[in-house]
Amino acid sequence: MTIDFSFLARYQDALLMGLGMTLRLTLIAFALGIVWGFVLALLRNSSIAPVRWIAAVYVEFFRGTPVLIQIFWIFYCMPIFLGTDLSNFTAAVLCLTLYGGAIMSETFRAGMKSIGREQYDACHALGLSPWTRATRIVLPQATLRSVPVLLSNGIGIFKESSLVSAIGMMELMFIGTTISNRTGRPVEVFTAVALIYFVVAFPLTRLVTWLEKRILKRFAI
Amino acid sequence: MEYEFQFHYILQAWPVLMEGLKVTVQLTVIANIIALTLGFVIALLVLSKYWLLRAPFALMIELFRCTPVLVQILWFFYCVPILFGIYLAPLPMGILALGINLACFNAEAYRAAIQAVPREQLDAGVALGFSPLQRVRYVVFPHAFRAALPVLITNGITLFQQSALVAIVALSDLMYMGRQVATQSYRPIETYTAVALIYFAISFPVSRVAAWVEQRLDAARA
Amino acid sequence: MTEIQPLVEMRGVHKNYGTLQVLSGIDLEMWPGDRLVVIGPSGGGKSTLLRIMMGLEDIRRGEIDLLGKRYITGHEQSGKTRIDSTLRKQVGMVFQHYTLFPHLTIISNLTLAAIKTRGMPKPAALDKGMQLLKRLGLESKAQSYPSQLSGGQKQRVAIARALMLDPRLMLFDEVTSALDPELVAEVEAVMLELAEQQMPMMLVTHDMWFAKNIASRVIFCAGGVVVEDGPPEQVLGDPVNPRTREFIERVFHIKT
Repeated sequence: MTIDFSFLARYQDALLMGLGMTLRLTLIAFALGIVWGFVLALLRNSSIAPVRWIAAVYVEFFRGTPVLIQIFWIFYCMPIFLGTDLSNFTAAVLCLTLYGGAIMSETFRAGMKSIGREQYDACHALGLSPWTRATRIVLPQATLRSVPVLLSNGIGIFKESSLVSAIGMMELMFIGTTISNRTGRPVEVFTAVALIYFVVAFPLTRLVTWLEKRILKRFAI
Repeated sequence: MEYEFQFHYILQAWPVLMEGLKVTVQLTVIANIIALTLGFVIALLVLSKYWLLRAPFALMIELFRCTPVLVQILWFFYCVPILFGIYLAPLPMGILALGINLACFNAEAYRAAIQAVPREQLDAGVALGFSPLQRVRYVVFPHAFRAALPVLITNGITLFQQSALVAIVALSDLMYMGRQVATQSYRPIETYTAVALIYFAISFPVSRVAAWVEQRLDAARA
Repeated sequence: MTEIQPLVEMRGVHKNYGTLQVLSGIDLEMWPGDRLVVIGPSGGGKSTLLRIMMGLEDIRRGEIDLLGKRYITGHEQSGKTRIDSTLRKQVGMVFQHYTLFPHLTIISNLTLAAIKTRGMPKPAALDKGMQLLKRLGLESKAQSYPSQLSGGQKQRVAIARALMLDPRLMLFDEVTSALDPELVAEVEAVMLELAEQQMPMMLVTHDMWFAKNIASRVIFCAGGVVVEDGPPEQVLGDPVNPRTREFIERVFHIKT
């Protein structure tokens, strides 16, 4: 069979709309996930042991199970618990946030852990209060170290967002599958969809590398 | 909440789920074996002196790393037969898709590890009169494999979880079987919880192993 | 006639890391104007002594006074060490690895603690910081980040950071050990200048020539105790104790 991409021009708007939805899902889940991830990281360092345990189990569970099953679980099971239906948009955002938060809490934790003992000694020797130490020394350094990885996590969420097509969310993947089914031309459609994802994700991965180098050069951390 | 848990559905469906798990494990193990070897070869190619060897494989790595696995799976299932005339049963096709995906991620891990092999080690290899192939075999690979091991294991577990996506192309793995059971029994909560726990019960211990290996390597380096 | 009060008084300081006994009963008095150099074999507890003085380490037993006030007490029974945190307003410390804050500019490194712990108004802190930098010839680096400085410059900034807080006692823990040889002199010069201004200091160094130049007093620590204590000419030149003698011979490669 001949490969001909030209018919895709007719579906340009649909694909762009799908990409728009994918980006919207990604950005919302990314923003909420950062907040949730930071809270989780703090909970995992809590002085109350049960709080630490629950947070750890949460994180390990979301990291240790397929995202697809998390999506199904939230979409099909949450409504039974909550007693109301979730729109697939809500379910998609919720799932990606809960998952993203678990991943990003690990990033924050690694960032906090990587601050050397000498930095704490110096804070001590200068008589800085625990509050000043946390807000002026630990948090900024942890953030600087975490930013590139958080961005990578964001790219991960962008890719995982394709899974919400399984619960009928009309994002890029879903629209691609629909077009493929309707036209019977999977080669062109899936190649195009893959390229659209690539065109967004690839520059971002370069940005991550660039940021990493820049932070390393500027601050040597 | 008035929901009544009825876990005996799970007991009934257990053999079916185990059938699915078998497929999932098969997929994961074979894809990992492919990726551990192929990944190293790709890493060597990407580090080649020759632009013509480097470029296509660098592009391949980026393509696989920067697109969703789901797209890759659909692409393999729908496009490979048409484009290349390769017709495989669903399981081998799933293995091929996941194996190549993982190989690209492993290649990145190997590449970083190969670049970190100490210069003196390579010099020593030359000084001892090893051929280039022998140097790769006896000096580069052992170093790189050790250094990359934690990432390789982590990648392996990630693939175990990603393998659930083949359910979407009707490959009867654990995820697929779980979905069947959930729809037929009308017990999504129990079924999806059980399926999630099965995945977790396997990936969590392995992730501990990865953490342990990393600690040991760090300790050895320090 | 009023009695001169010792600056530092340590009595029976014991320290161990697990089962490893690092200090086994240090008794030490430091007088105002003393520039005390601590020498001794590695693992002899020199750095530990300074870290304890800064309140960075717990002690098993013993007490430490500064200007007649009790700041550190080790309670052996409870295993707890009571450290009065106002100690940190009196003592400043410079570490081997600079420990500047990498995310702050040089001037912010200097002013942060002054503003936050001394309640100094920001303009005053900036003013003082710039003056200190000028004295060290580093005023052009005020807006740079630590990563943009050489090791010697970083260490001078670290000294300035400690001086910002007007300490009564300065601790220098092997501050030139991590430096390239050609950068050592600029840091030592700053310390010698402080010595001229009668700044009391306690320092650990492996550089015996520098020790001889800066010390008003040298103690030789080995096996967790003070083996010998005296003026530099004696301890470094003609030690009384055979253990000190052996050590000095080894590091100077000469027979005394």
